Amino acid sequence: MNISGILVVAGPGRLDTVKEQLGRLEGVDVHQHDPASGRIIVTLEAEDVSGEVEGLKRIKALPGIVLAEMVYHYFEDDPHPVSELPPELDEVDGLEGIRVPAALRD
Amino acid sequence: MEITRREFLKSSIAATTAATVGMPLIQGAQAASEDFEADWQWDKGVCRFCGTGCGIMVATKKGRIVATKGDPDAPVNRGLNCIKGYFNGKIQYGKDRLTQPLMRMTDGKFDKKGKFTPVSWEQAFDEMERQFRKAYAEKGPAGVAVFGSGQYTIQEGYASAKLMKAGFRSNNIDPNARHCMASAVVGFIQTFGIDEPAGNYDDIEHTDTVVSWGANMAECHPILWSRVADRRLSSDDVKIVNLSTYANETSNIADTEILFKPGTDLAIWNYIAREIIKRDAVNHDFVDKHCVFATGPYDIGYGMRNTDKYAFDAEKDIMAKELEVTLTAEEAIAQRRKTGEKVKQNNTKKPVKHWLITYEDFKEALDPYTLDFVSQLAKGDPDESLDDFRAKLKLLADLYIDKGRKVVSFWTMGFNQHYRGSWINEQAYMVHLLLGKQSMPGNGAFSLTGQPSACGTAREVGTFAHRLPADMVVMNPKHRARSEQIWKLPPRTINPKVGSHITKIMRDLEDGQVKFAWVQVNNPFQATANANHWLKAAREMDNFIVVSDPYPTISAKVSDLILPSAMIFEKWGGYGNAERRTQMWREQVPPPGQARSDVWQAMEFAKRFRLKDVWGEQMVPGLEAEGFESGKLPDVLDKAREMGYSPDDTLYDVLFATPENRKFKWPDKVAKGHDNHTVKAGALDWFPEKALYQEYVQFGRGHEHDLADFDVYYRDDVRGLKWPVVDGKETEWRFNEKYDPYVKKGSGFEFYGKALKELPTGDLDKPTSKEKTSLAGKAKIFFRPYAAPPEQPDDNYDLWMCTGRVLEHWHTGTMTRRVPELHRAVPTALFYMHPKDAEDRGLKRKDVAMVESRRGKVQAVVETQGRDDPPRGYTFIAFFDEGVLVNKLVPDITCPMSKETDFKKCAVKVRKA
Repeated sequence: MNISGILVVAGPGRLDTVKEQLGRLEGVDVHQHDPASGRIIVTLEAEDVSGEVEGLKRIKALPGIVLAEMVYHYFEDDPHPVSELPPELDEVDGLEGIRVPAALRD
Repeated sequence: MEITRREFLKSSIAATTAATVGMPLIQGAQAASEDFEADWQWDKGVCRFCGTGCGIMVATKKGRIVATKGDPDAPVNRGLNCIKGYFNGKIQYGKDRLTQPLMRMTDGKFDKKGKFTPVSWEQAFDEMERQFRKAYAEKGPAGVAVFGSGQYTIQEGYASAKLMKAGFRSNNIDPNARHCMASAVVGFIQTFGIDEPAGNYDDIEHTDTVVSWGANMAECHPILWSRVADRRLSSDDVKIVNLSTYANETSNIADTEILFKPGTDLAIWNYIAREIIKRDAVNHDFVDKHCVFATGPYDIGYGMRNTDKYAFDAEKDIMAKELEVTLTAEEAIAQRRKTGEKVKQNNTKKPVKHWLITYEDFKEALDPYTLDFVSQLAKGDPDESLDDFRAKLKLLADLYIDKGRKVVSFWTMGFNQHYRGSWINEQAYMVHLLLGKQSMPGNGAFSLTGQPSACGTAREVGTFAHRLPADMVVMNPKHRARSEQIWKLPPRTINPKVGSHITKIMRDLEDGQVKFAWVQVNNPFQATANANHWLKAAREMDNFIVVSDPYPTISAKVSDLILPSAMIFEKWGGYGNAERRTQMWREQVPPPGQARSDVWQAMEFAKRFRLKDVWGEQMVPGLEAEGFESGKLPDVLDKAREMGYSPDDTLYDVLFATPENRKFKWPDKVAKGHDNHTVKAGALDWFPEKALYQEYVQFGRGHEHDLADFDVYYRDDVRGLKWPVVDGKETEWRFNEKYDPYVKKGSGFEFYGKALKELPTGDLDKPTSKEKTSLAGKAKIFFRPYAAPPEQPDDNYDLWMCTGRVLEHWHTGTMTRRVPELHRAVPTALFYMHPKDAEDRGLKRKDVAMVESRRGKVQAVVETQGRDDPPRGYTFIAFFDEGVLVNKLVPDITCPMSKETDFKKCAVKVRKA
């Protein structure tokens, strides 16, 4: 389980609609907001770790949003740590893997 | 996890988030957040990535980092993090982290063609020493080299530069910062006589116009961009302009987007300057008091090799331009010459020389840069109307010129990585100085930085081939003498001959001139343009390459010896960011396995050499300097004896463990219980990071580069300080009497930098008198003409290609690609092209394309939508992905003055793979 704390800023006059749209996104909870600055604090929960990044992308894609940045990241108790690496880095299987990759030889 | 625990966690995290960004807390939430972090230890740190220098808080528990958050007290980011910064805690835990030295071996012995085999540090240093001695004996100080870094901590850069320059008497140390900041540096030194931006990030809140040139701030400096966005929202009078060669995320909140043809930014600045004069908007009071006018030669080449002996056949036509250029019609107008004129490049050796001109000459030189000429030359999107483009250029000039408007110009790699990168930096100051909109809150030209300590280490410490600490240079006998005095070296120990810049070190490896190279805190075999040459040089030439890195990068894979390095929070260190802010952190967790800090590595290697090995007479081909025999460094051992040294003293004794340095004892109360693995591994009773830092600050104090004492930066109430720090006070705006203690009282402004302030006088073409005038206290306004990019699309290679960055990854991806979340977000570098260009080549979105230039080819996945939107004829790809090694395609064309590579302009052809 991963939970992020995210600051969202809604454009002028868009606070209510943005809050409503945020509330409809999966894993997103709206916690507090400040009408004067359009700032909204949300948490984002994702099933697995990469879902978090996808979730932030979905927030950023909402209309009326000026800014959405992660502020806080909680990952201590992640039961399914993602170990995925880019394939060319994953070639590194013990020391045998540290060799000049094919892509560098042509 | 049961639901109540989860809800509790969420409200705690929301509370912490709110507190971090300065929103009032919901009642009860504070206590909740304190409770669940009860056994964590929080300490302040700095982000590992770009030059913004965001403050972060790092939480550790049982020797491991468990969380990070934006530091609410950090003035730079005020609690925010971008997505990279947010994952600072995870970069140290990639699964392929290197934890022991690895050497290429066959049958238990070093073998260049052998396989990487684990060895002890002792064995690693034994072979390294043997190889170093071989190269040094054969080629002298010029035969060894260090690839340094803008990510060095201050102490690491200082230790390496001192070991090379004072110990080995070699100036062949040059950082990857050459690839990102060198043009900015030349711009600063030429214009102001001193390095580093005059302004600071608070300019964003003070200004009402932000012009971003050749910088995708939204992706590459997201936290600064969030401050710009906040400022834009605060008032409709605030205007933002994005000048770029392709549409990108930075256009999203821009009021105006101007897409120009690569290289024509040189003409756009001149158009603005011409308008300033035409509309009688020159701030004559400011200019008369504080500025002079200058120019220099145009026939300075493009920083390529002057021989095609090593060239691939296909690249020879471009390389010929290093010797002779045939002027295009536009260049002829811009340079007051004839179309088709062949111009021998006579000033490739002295591209930096310049002379004073009159204001009348300056005006005359700008005369060709009319709106008609520049709009036709510069329009970058073939699908935009000329009228629309003209209107935008005029609006841009209006915004700069408007007397009631403050203006900040930001730029990064679009300017610095430019075949005329130094000129374009100078031109930014030209416009700001003409208007008197410089060095004051909300007004100024501001070069942003790409690496966390390109300013604080690479530049200030002087890890460049020509530099010494605090803006001093090896060519200047007074600077050498002062460095020798602080370093307690015999006179004439320091080599007066400029070493090889980073791209030249690669060329030297290919030529067999450099036989031993040590890569520190960077990945040059991925990051240097024209990579096929250098990959071949590493693997097939007779040389020995050592790479110190936490991960098996491309550079590590093509090296001969890999040394496992400690990462940021596994060691003590300090960085200096783009607004001159020095920030330091404590060691938070121990490095894994046998990984060790770069400071420890430099000191251990220094133990292997005695003064008699290096301070005898040394051959340096091409050395010519007053007081030196041609081609030789003198034997200084006798003088060393007089100073109390023995020829059998090691470089470790003389350079690092000096009696003064050993006075800084470990343990130290500043540590507050934190450890120091460098001390432990070396079994020391002194504190090397503090001692080296305190030695280093002697260079800058009283010389406009003052830093505070080590302990000050660790105080709980300090979040970095902007240098110069004089009498405990930081300097907000340089050169401005109100803020800068170095400015003479009553002068208002003083551009007090001392470099290059004696100039001859001339006309637009040449100096006409040898007599030199002193320009003390003044800034220079340069005229620089438009010059065409040496490589442009043609019938064969018919598309522009630009390389750059994405939000999720940093530089060569060594760290960010090890964070699974970031890797998943952007797994591979996408080849962005216009849908019509793709269709014309039988390509669709997600197809794999073969992209080929004169120098090589790579395969990449085509993208025709999304965050980057290039005009027809233009393509973009990021360079982070080692699976798509785009630097095979890019030419090693550099700005001839700064030697910084133009990674932004190359011609390619594209077909379906």
